[in-house]
Amino acid sequence: MRDRQSDIEMQREAERLEEATDEAANLAGKLGLDQFPVNYWVVDYDDMNELIAYGGFQTRYPHWRWGMQYDRQQKQGQFLGGKAFEIVNNDNPAHAFLQVSNSLADQKAVITHVEAHSDFFANNQWFGLFAENPDATAMLARHADTIREYMQDPEIERAAVEKWIDHILCLEDNIDQHQPYEPVDAHQEVSEFDPEDIDDQLADLSVSEEVRQQVFDDEWLESQADDDEVASFPAEPEPDILAFLRKHGRQYDDEAGKAVEMEEWQREILEVLRAEAYYFAPQKMTKVMNEGWASYWESLMMADENFASADEFLTYADHMSQVLGSPGLNPYKLGLELWQYVENTTNRRHVVEHLLRVDGITWRNFHDTVDFDLVQEVLEPADLVAAPTEQELSTVDPEDPRVDADALAAAQAGELDLETYPWKLLSYEGLAERHYSLTKAQSRGFLSRVGQEELERVSRYMFERDRYDSVEEALAAVDYTVGWDRMREVRESHNDVTFIDEFLSQEFVDEHDYFTYEYMHASDDYRATSTDAADVKKKMMLQFTNFGKPTIAVADGNYDNRNELLLEHQYNGVALDIGQAQDTLERVFELWGRPVNLRTVVKRYDEHDVEVARRRDSEPTPEEKGLEIRYDGMDFSEEELDLEAVEHLAATDVDYDTKPEEWLA
Amino acid sequence: MGLRDDLERYREVGENRRQDLAEFIQYGDMGGSQQGSVRIPIKIVDLPEFEYDQRDMGGVGQGDGDTPQPGEPVGEPEDGDEDGDPGEEGGEHEYYEMDPEEFAEELDEELGLDLDPKGKQVIEEKEGDFTDITRTGPTSTLDFERLFKQGLKRKLAMDFDREYVREALKIDGWGPETVFEWARTDENLPVSRPWVEEAYAEIPDGERTAWESLEEMEESTDRVDTAQRIRREGVDQIPFRREDERFRYPEVVEEREKNVVVVNIRDVSGSMRQKKRELVERTFTPLDWYLQGKYDNAEFVYIAHDAEAWEVEREDFFGIRSGGGTRISSAYDLAAAVLEEEYPWSEWNRYVFAAGDSENSSNDTEDQVIPMMEEIPANLHAYVETQPSGNAINATHAEEVERHFRNSGNVAVAYVSGPEDVTTAIYDILSTEEEAD
Repeated sequence: MRDRQSDIEMQREAERLEEATDEAANLAGKLGLDQFPVNYWVVDYDDMNELIAYGGFQTRYPHWRWGMQYDRQQKQGQFLGGKAFEIVNNDNPAHAFLQVSNSLADQKAVITHVEAHSDFFANNQWFGLFAENPDATAMLARHADTIREYMQDPEIERAAVEKWIDHILCLEDNIDQHQPYEPVDAHQEVSEFDPEDIDDQLADLSVSEEVRQQVFDDEWLESQADDDEVASFPAEPEPDILAFLRKHGRQYDDEAGKAVEMEEWQREILEVLRAEAYYFAPQKMTKVMNEGWASYWESLMMADENFASADEFLTYADHMSQVLGSPGLNPYKLGLELWQYVENTTNRRHVVEHLLRVDGITWRNFHDTVDFDLVQEVLEPADLVAAPTEQELSTVDPEDPRVDADALAAAQAGELDLETYPWKLLSYEGLAERHYSLTKAQSRGFLSRVGQEELERVSRYMFERDRYDSVEEALAAVDYTVGWDRMREVRESHNDVTFIDEFLSQEFVDEHDYFTYEYMHASDDYRATSTDAADVKKKMMLQFTNFGKPTIAVADGNYDNRNELLLEHQYNGVALDIGQAQDTLERVFELWGRPVNLRTVVKRYDEHDVEVARRRDSEPTPEEKGLEIRYDGMDFSEEELDLEAVEHLAATDVDYDTKPEEWLA
Repeated sequence: MGLRDDLERYREVGENRRQDLAEFIQYGDMGGSQQGSVRIPIKIVDLPEFEYDQRDMGGVGQGDGDTPQPGEPVGEPEDGDEDGDPGEEGGEHEYYEMDPEEFAEELDEELGLDLDPKGKQVIEEKEGDFTDITRTGPTSTLDFERLFKQGLKRKLAMDFDREYVREALKIDGWGPETVFEWARTDENLPVSRPWVEEAYAEIPDGERTAWESLEEMEESTDRVDTAQRIRREGVDQIPFRREDERFRYPEVVEEREKNVVVVNIRDVSGSMRQKKRELVERTFTPLDWYLQGKYDNAEFVYIAHDAEAWEVEREDFFGIRSGGGTRISSAYDLAAAVLEEEYPWSEWNRYVFAAGDSENSSNDTEDQVIPMMEEIPANLHAYVETQPSGNAINATHAEEVERHFRNSGNVAVAYVSGPEDVTTAIYDILSTEEEAD
């Protein structure tokens, strides 16, 4: 437990950081960000680990998974190589946690990163699907209370509650994340026909046996069931499996040997966890964008705005290299690179448009006529914005749109510390010019790398036809803010899938060395297969669409006319992990109460083909077959289906396989 | 607190998902465990979900300035965490970890054992509970409770309802003498004659004949018993006497340390191939853990032998193979020497376990080994024959030992021809000592 000594330490740290948090919020605002206000909390290392384990919130429902996450973190050494860096949650106000033992540089890095995250949460429309103001902390705490109360209820077996939660969590990604969250309205249920139900109800009526047989005879019962129209539902495949189970699921009662209505607590917990799944879905869908966004602004504020002092900066550079240096597909890195690309391509297009309007310059002769060195020179940020502290304040024009007039006045009155915060003198426009991407060292060649295709396209779609007499004149009209403006638009409207889809290009892939790889039967290992942007994009789509998971939807809630559940895998060429699918089906059964079925497509490799292919050092071609797996609560059974039966499942014509044709046997 | 509970829950899940001990001992991966910690692999820890077949997915990688060309191999893909924590290692083995104590407890439960470790060496005289009593001592050790109880007894013994007796003195025709007789004989009240006379003298004249008869008095007067009186009057009235004082001091408790030394002997000659070695490991390791878990202090001696014996470290014990023939007595010679030297019987519990494939040089068993097994005092001697193919012709050591020690309580012989026999062997060995108790 914490002692007074560490409490004092944390208090001191909190005070030390007050200025940093205030100024970070100010700077973010000036840079055009519009974040939820952030409350910062100083915590120790253990608290940090705990918060991470609990998804960034202090109060969650009791469950072993939090323990598992905490345990794993402890065992795998420390998060991000030594210090847990950032936690901020999606809420208004947002809450962020800083570790007491971090250096000032690290703290500032976290703070600037967090402010940017908060802006993302506040503006990205996908978060808006859940709620404009999520009030998440309170909601999750309420859920925790609800579940805890059920666990402590003497009438309810605690183990049953925990198991129930387990079952639901297996399906937490099986929601319709593109729709706004709506609680399931239990009263809207479509009444199903269950002959057993009717039987029971009749028994309850205490009507005499004679009357029963006369009035409710077998013929009548059958006629009720015979209505083919009523039989199958939903009308369209339903991807929100949790909602469907909530509305129509049953419990299998072992003793009674049949399906019975769910208990109140079961229904409520199902809905509670479904709500949480919807709450967290946007975060999962925008991981790359969000982390990239935060890294972008953090880097700008820290490095370019000298948010860290010279000696602090070294620790900071270390931090960044750790974050960005991890191998594999790193969302921070991918995100950051893409945002920089968005900024650069937007700015470049804008400049190109202006240059194409110069007399004598066309898209054909562009590379021959444009003096790129000159262009770079002209585009360089003016002294005013590049070095505000070196300006003679009396010479600064308050009418200059790049100047913050109020700040100028305050500075002249000696009330503003410009040495530490030079950016305070500037407005958004001023800062945009100051940080103009095309003139940054790492982007020097970007403008000149514009391809012929793009030149031709820009030329084709240009509206403005006014001519400029000279390059200087054209460039004088360049708006330095277009890059950032566009970035802000994108961070509002896109998610990872649309982000990558729109902006990933061959130029990007080449510049950043991305490649695809596949598993090879021939060598029983993984090999690189392509550096083609289309292939890279496909693979990324696979990884980011639908949380990187196959799309499973409810096809029929009255399958075989026996109230069995039929799920279908919307097959896109990549097969399911069948073992896990079976384990998951067991859980689905627990939530449906009656047998459950799953239709999918499997790839069968003929052993002989594999042999032959191996010998030829090539890849075997599998045969695709339809498969239906059924689980009845006790046993599994499988049935192979003709391809016709599953053709409708293979909806897309995107082939996610990137193995070159010539490799196939 | 939330985290503590959730960690506990996680542990329970691990406990439910882990292999039960018998399975673990016979077939499990012992690679994660060590001397002092038993790590049992957990089959699956996390919840299942609908996921892609990993191999069918393939993936995207990023070169470090150099992109692998199509056809070039790339490393095993990292397990992508849903939360996308970059660079995090995925798919590590999950273990349920237990210390030897817990292991011993569980094994007891699973196999139905209950070994009671014996204390041997007295390591200290400890002060036990303050239960001994003397009549003198420092004030701080005064047994106040006892004093109070004694006082209370006295009070009860001498106490009587004075008011009641006073009323009796008001009975018409009753004088002090009568009341005294009545109080003492009929009511058993510990009154004294002087007190009665004094009390009588105190009664105002007019009241001396207030009651006409005893019956009338009794009817109209409430008796108050001692308990009520004490309650009313309080503790001050309890008489404390010097002779009631008692003082406590601590008993002397002899703390015996429960020591154990386990001597593991293994035939490492040419005939002991991989399968046999593994069976030895599967048998000995749990025995070691079990004993370590049961005793306060455990030490281990590892002796490898072929025709000669030498001491080894644990890491090497199960893997060693030499080329030569076999003479089991060499190991017992060495064991006897080591035990004599460092682990005297008066201070140490001893377990001497030997394992091999029952091969031995001629007559060595009867002439050397068996006599030594008789001579070396130990809680338990055991021989484990690991013979996957059943009996070999010259392999009779186990049989001979068994025949000779059939009625002795401290020698166990077990036969292990495959993993499925391991737990039975462990049970047989450990329960032999129990039976002897």
